Parts: sequence; C-alpha cells; structure tokens
Amino acid sequence: MAVFSFTRCLVRSYFCVKYVDHVQTLLQTTTRMFSVSASRSSFVDVPKAQFTDTEVQDILTKITGLDLKKVFRPIRQQLTPPKYKLMTDTELEESVCKAEKQAKHLLKMPPVLPERKPINDVLSEDQMLEGMDTANYVFTDINFNVPHRERFIVVREPSGTLRKATWNERDRIIQVYFPKEGRKITPPPIFKEENLRMVFEQDRHEDVLNQCVVQFEPDSVEFKNVLILTYEDIEKHGKYDLLRSTRFFGGLAWHLVNGQRIDGLLVDMLQRDLMQDAVRLVRLFNLVHPQSESAQHAQRQQATDLDLLKIYAQYESKRAGFIDLAVQTYEQTKALSSF
Amino acid sequence: MAASLQRIGIVISRTFPIILQRNIQAQRIRHWKLTSSASPVLSLNFRALTSSSSSSSDNSDSTETLSRYSDRPWEYLESEEYIERYGSKPVWSNYRRNHKGGVPPQKTRKTCIRGDKICGNPCPICRDPNIIVHYKNVNLLQQFVSPQTGIVYDPTRTGVCMKQQKLLNKAIETARDCGLLSAQLPHVDYSKEDYSNTHGAVAPTPAPFSLSSGELWYPWYGSIKPDERELARVRRIYKDYLKPDV
Repeated sequence: MAVFSFTRCLVRSYFCVKYVDHVQTLLQTTTRMFSVSASRSSFVDVPKAQFTDTEVQDILTKITGLDLKKVFRPIRQQLTPPKYKLMTDTELEESVCKAEKQAKHLLKMPPVLPERKPINDVLSEDQMLEGMDTANYVFTDINFNVPHRERFIVVREPSGTLRKATWNERDRIIQVYFPKEGRKITPPPIFKEENLRMVFEQDRHEDVLNQCVVQFEPDSVEFKNVLILTYEDIEKHGKYDLLRSTRFFGGLAWHLVNGQRIDGLLVDMLQRDLMQDAVRLVRLFNLVHPQSESAQHAQRQQATDLDLLKIYAQYESKRAGFIDLAVQTYEQTKALSSF
Repeated sequence: MAASLQRIGIVISRTFPIILQRNIQAQRIRHWKLTSSASPVLSLNFRALTSSSSSSSDNSDSTETLSRYSDRPWEYLESEEYIERYGSKPVWSNYRRNHKGGVPPQKTRKTCIRGDKICGNPCPICRDPNIIVHYKNVNLLQQFVSPQTGIVYDPTRTGVCMKQQKLLNKAIETARDCGLLSAQLPHVDYSKEDYSNTHGAVAPTPAPFSLSSGELWYPWYGSIKPDERELARVRRIYKDYLKPDV
C-alpha cells in the first residue's frame, strides 16, 4: 500500500516535471523584459517565482495585513473640523468597504525591479567643438506629454562629444524641469550612514522608506541600497511589527525570502499567533526556492497548513525547536477549543 | 526728586542696551529681570559709568561674548536656568508684542539686534542669548512647529523677528532633511509608469539600418507587378527609345 502510494507520487511528480519543462521554455522567451534568469539545476527545472506573479503578490498582500487603524492613523496635514454622519448598519458596512478599498490602494507595494543598466552611449564626436566652453551643455526635450523614460536628454561635453545623459543626470534634470512634490534635486542627507543609524534608533524606519520612495526611482541603485539597509536593520533587531500594515512589508518579506532568512519573521509571527501568515510565508519560500529540501518534501507530500511549517522546521530552519513548540501549542489550543 | 529719578530711569533704560553688549552674557538676563525696580537701576548706572570708563574689564569680558552653549545649543534646554525660566511651556509663550491698536502688523520687526544695539522688547529668541537656532536643536525647533499639522507657526503668533524666522525656517528644513524632525510626504503612485527601459532615449541606440545584398529599401518594391496592357502600351509608344535588351 505504501509502496503503491510512493510509486504513484513518483509518477505524478515525473508528469509534473514533463509539463513544467514546456512551460519553462515558454517563460524564457516571454519574460525577457525582467531580465532575471530562472535558477537552473541540472535535473528538476521548476520556474522560479517572480515578484509580479499573482500568487506571490496575493501572499504578500495577505501577510501585510490590513489594520485600518494603522493605515488611517492621523497624519500631519491641514486640519479640518470633524464631520459626523448618522448611518444605518448597511451604510456603515458600505463605508467600511470603501475604507478597505482605499487602504488597499494605499498599501500598494513599490515595485521590485532589476537594477537599471548604466547609459553609456556616445552619439557623435566632434573634434571641432573642443574647448568651446568649460562646462557641459545639457539639451533636454521638454515636451509635456512625453513619459520621462522616453525623454531625450543629451550632454555636450567641452571635449566635443555628444552623449546621452547618465541616469543620475537624467533624474536631476527631470526634477529641475518637471518637479515632483517632495523630491529634492540632490538626495537629502538623511540617506547618509550616520543619519540613517540615528533614525533607526528612533524606530522611524517607515519615515526613511517613505522619503526613499519619494526621492529615488524604484530601479535605481540608491533606492535598493537604502531598502537593503533598512531591511537589514529591521531583521537585526526583530522590529518586524513596525512595517506591518504598511506598503513596505511585502518588500521586506520578499527580501528575506530571497536571502533565505525567514526564521526571525516566522518566529515573530508565531509569537503574535498569526498562524495563517506563517503558513503563507513558508509557502512563499517554497515557491521562490523550489529546489530547497522543504519545498521538495512539501511537494512530495502535498502538505498544507501546519504540515508545511513542520516540514520547514525540520529541514531548513535554524530555530526548529521554537517553531515546533509553537505549532504544538496551537494544535492543542485548537483541539481544546473544539471540544 | 521723583521726577529726576524718573528721568534717570529713562536715560538708563535707553542706554541699557549698550550696557548689555558689554557685560557677561549670564548677567544679561538678571539685569533684564530687575529693570523694573528702582534701586538696582542706580547700581546699574554706577556699573555703566565704571564700565564705560574702564576698558580693561571689557577685554576680559569680550572673550565670552559668545554664549556658553554656542557649541552644543541643545544642552541649554535641559539646564536648570532654562527650566526655571520657561518651565515646560514654549519659549514664546509669555512674549507679547508692543503695537498700536488691536490688530498687530502682519509682519514682525525685521531684526532685533542691529550691530551692537538691541531693541526694546526683543523677540523670544533674541532676548535669551543662550537660545541658538541650530538644526540639531530639535527640542527648540519643535516648539515652533504645530504638533498636529506639522506646519511652522507664523511669526505673528510666536513674536519672533523676521531674521530669526528665516533662520528658523532654514533650520527646520535642514532638520527635516537630516531626519531629525518628521515630515509629511506625499503618497507615490506606481501604477502608471512603465519600467521596461526599452525606449531609445534610455537604451543603447540600435545600429543604423544597412541594406544587405538583394534586400530592397521598401519591402513592397519587389511585390508590385505592372499591368501587362499598360506595359505593352508604354513599350509601343517609346519603341524607338528603348534599349535593345528591354
């Protein structure tokens, strides 16, 4: 009986692999835009989950949670007198739904993109113009209805070369001609090491991330650096709750899953009795690292819910004891409450 | 007798600002508090006469014209002097502007200190030389920002002179840039932008188009076939001019 089920499992997994091979070749041709190649192993070739996959996004949004009190906490803005409305129950539910929609819009995650490639393109070299001036001349296309990423910005250097502007120059020039609210032309000193350290000590990671999101483009080097620094600090001190119910929690979870360091976050979730979130996190881990042992075992056994946690604790985790204990206590409480 | 005393008092209160600049900074405050009573005025008068005559005392005092807290202005806000003087209220709470009529002018005075002279009734920052507007002096800057809206208070409300208000604005902006004060930022929407970076403006320029052998410039060049009757008619008309092989 056991042998039969084992062979059945093997056959099923073999068929899965065969089907998946087709999908793999298709994906390779269609996902060139994101230029992240799937991790290849010599045998099983399951496509690695990307940030933009619907399943991944779904998991990340569910982990982030939707604490309306935190999302709509009073912010510093121009005050208006409060409005009081008398509502029936149905109207109240409708307004709560509207609030949830607005909250979902506010909690949209900033995109995780590959780093933008530097622009090194010389359009022409005119030796005639050498020594024309001591400064660079920047020519910008300031048509209003052109997207910023399709705007031509070229620089004529004193040596006579006409080249396309680098990404930093592009950002600065676009900010000069089409200023965005909150963005400065030169990055503010908050992003320097000492200031960052001080802000992290005050537990104001969300403010730093908001500043970062406003100041930099999501595919720039500085943006990624600041994000990584913030996430590292949060993970070091275990301050995951600061970002829960904000738009940055998904990015944090994705970064940790890619680095295979979800132990701290798992433990935090279990301490706060968020079993479903913990299960979802482990599922995300299995999606992103399909070659890992826990993913393969889970695939074989088709595990769900707490079994996933147990498999992960057994094979991958370094804090297996705590996770096992937490799962056991949860099962016990569930059994007790059901009686 | 009383009238002459009064006159002396007027003269002294007019020359009092000059005395301020010459004495030690810590004594300034004590003098300011005591100007209302008569007897200290007389002693002040005496001190004014002696100080104006002897310049040797000036030399020893002039090395301390800067406040004790000029290097670390934030320490003053924890000192006993400050707490005794202001308590937990903001620095500008007990200041009242002197102006004619019920409505104050919409701009406060340009500056309280011009060169050596300080005006009468200086603003809350100028009257206390230990209060220095610095971007690291967060506790002081917070007193001039509304805790609910995050907007800097108007000078008509706090009473500071315009020069100090400008310095305050600059310091608050630097503090917000460095992350010492929290600032409210707009929400960034990412749904409308395309991040593929494939456009020619940001991607390497594609190589110029060059014709390979046998290829036509426009793809439809080769595919159009002339009408046979038209071709025969043209051949008939220009029969004498055609090349022999055509």
